Amino acid sequence: MPILDTRDITKQFGGLIAVNQISMTVNKNEIVGIIGPNGAGKTSFINALTGIYKPSSGQVHFKGKEITGLPAYKIAKHGISRTFQNLRVFSNISVLENVMIGAHCRIDNPFHHIFLRPFRSKRIEHQAYEKVIVLLKNVGLEEKKESLAKNLSYGEQRILEICRALASDPELLILDEPCAGMNSAEMDTLADFVKKLRDEGQTIVVIEHNMRFMMAVSDRIIVMTEGAKFREGTPAEIRNDLEVQKVYLGEQEVE
Amino acid sequence: MLTGFFESKQGKWLLLGGLTVCLLLVPKFVTDIYILSILNMMIIYSILCMGLNLILGFTGLLSLGHAAFFGIGAYTTAILMTRYGFGFLSAFFASAVLAMLAGIVIALPTRKVRGDYFCLITLAFGEIFRLVATAWIEFTRGAMGIVRIPMPKIFGIPIVTETHFYYLGLGILIFTYLTLKAITDTRYGRAFIAIREDELAADTMGINTSLYKIMAFSIGCLFAGMAGSFLAVYQTVVTPSNFRLEESCLMIIMVIVGGMGRNLLAPLAGVVVLTVATEVFRSTAEYRMLIIGLIMILVLLLRPQGIFGSSSFKS
Repeated sequence: MPILDTRDITKQFGGLIAVNQISMTVNKNEIVGIIGPNGAGKTSFINALTGIYKPSSGQVHFKGKEITGLPAYKIAKHGISRTFQNLRVFSNISVLENVMIGAHCRIDNPFHHIFLRPFRSKRIEHQAYEKVIVLLKNVGLEEKKESLAKNLSYGEQRILEICRALASDPELLILDEPCAGMNSAEMDTLADFVKKLRDEGQTIVVIEHNMRFMMAVSDRIIVMTEGAKFREGTPAEIRNDLEVQKVYLGEQEVE
Repeated sequence: MLTGFFESKQGKWLLLGGLTVCLLLVPKFVTDIYILSILNMMIIYSILCMGLNLILGFTGLLSLGHAAFFGIGAYTTAILMTRYGFGFLSAFFASAVLAMLAGIVIALPTRKVRGDYFCLITLAFGEIFRLVATAWIEFTRGAMGIVRIPMPKIFGIPIVTETHFYYLGLGILIFTYLTLKAITDTRYGRAFIAIREDELAADTMGINTSLYKIMAFSIGCLFAGMAGSFLAVYQTVVTPSNFRLEESCLMIIMVIVGGMGRNLLAPLAGVVVLTVATEVFRSTAEYRMLIIGLIMILVLLLRPQGIFGSSSFKS
């Protein structure tokens, strides 16, 4: 059974149909790539999945449960975690606190316990801290745990954002243009990292423009244009599809 | 090396312990009633500003009506003690709870309105409170205020002199600090900061931002209620003029000058600077606000993060 199953997701803004009846599935332990030209509705689709927008129609099922239209924080608790196209780390606080916030919904520390069971509360917080440290070590940010997020390099901030998303133990990780603004060396490191996550059992959906990156990491690619699903296939199939090339490179046939 | 020690965990607690002992010993050396009364006002503002820092510094909500919650606490204690024969402790408790409930009601619209609009709601609430306190003469005695608030007794010990009030206030202040410290050291404190930094991202991290905003706001108001209750028994009089917009602004200035955010004690530096400035320039009457404004501009130019702030967060 697929871990994520969307049926005819549509998102309208007034007269504009940003996402038009998209159905897709994501299986466990798979990297699904979503590509498409600017304005194809990729990010809108992801926003409708993660509760930032409410879909106008259609359903989202996650692990067999319907999560359509739930608020974002509840969807995060269900186990979908994401990053953003335009980098949204918490800039003025430390790297450590950023990732601790990512773990927020997995820290089982009810408010009254702070006062009524202070030792349990402290222990739970400390356990979360130790888990976060391990995570930071894995991505090589442990030494910078006390630096403010805004003082990190751009590539490191991208990694930090992924790390923050991973801190919530997501069953599905969604990366929205993770390579934006990266140089090719950083991009290769990121590709290796994403593949490593998949090998460790993580399920991932990636939106990205960069074809080299997408061909390298994706197990399956979905092409979107004008809000609708256009093609779906393996990276090789997509690469050799003339229609896709036309959509991607524009109508530039020689007469 | 010394600073390294004071940044370690034990060092910090030692420093705080030392500070507490010094504060406890103050009345042994300071007997001047005037100075003690200034210290007591500083304590009241410190409690208010610590609470406001949770709202403004942590969660990033600008509240222009903090004085109203301060006023709710003060009027609750004044009315319960003068008319219904409440003891101080029960009135104190009721004041805190009532201020918190008012805080919850005012913070409810944060679910729908954000930023500037929320600020306007708090501004309006502050004005409504002051107008009601002035105009509802049967209940609040209007501009005359409620007078002859009885002397508080705590477990049979009467609180009479400035020194007594100093210790009572210091007790409330320490309680405020420890409570806020306990809360902000957990995922709750981090969630508040996440909301200040990026509400949408906080939401996708599994933080119920509406709920946490209401929580932060109402906890801040709870302490304003406590400060109000203390003010009522300390002054023995409460009038609407104690709770004007100017008071709310002064609190905000104190928090900003001292330093917003993680460091819970930073706003106290603002309290000290501005209270001293207010007293020193008391003779200049209306020009006082001018001088306070000048102090704020200077601090913001020289140290944008506030005197003890760790980082300025509006880039």
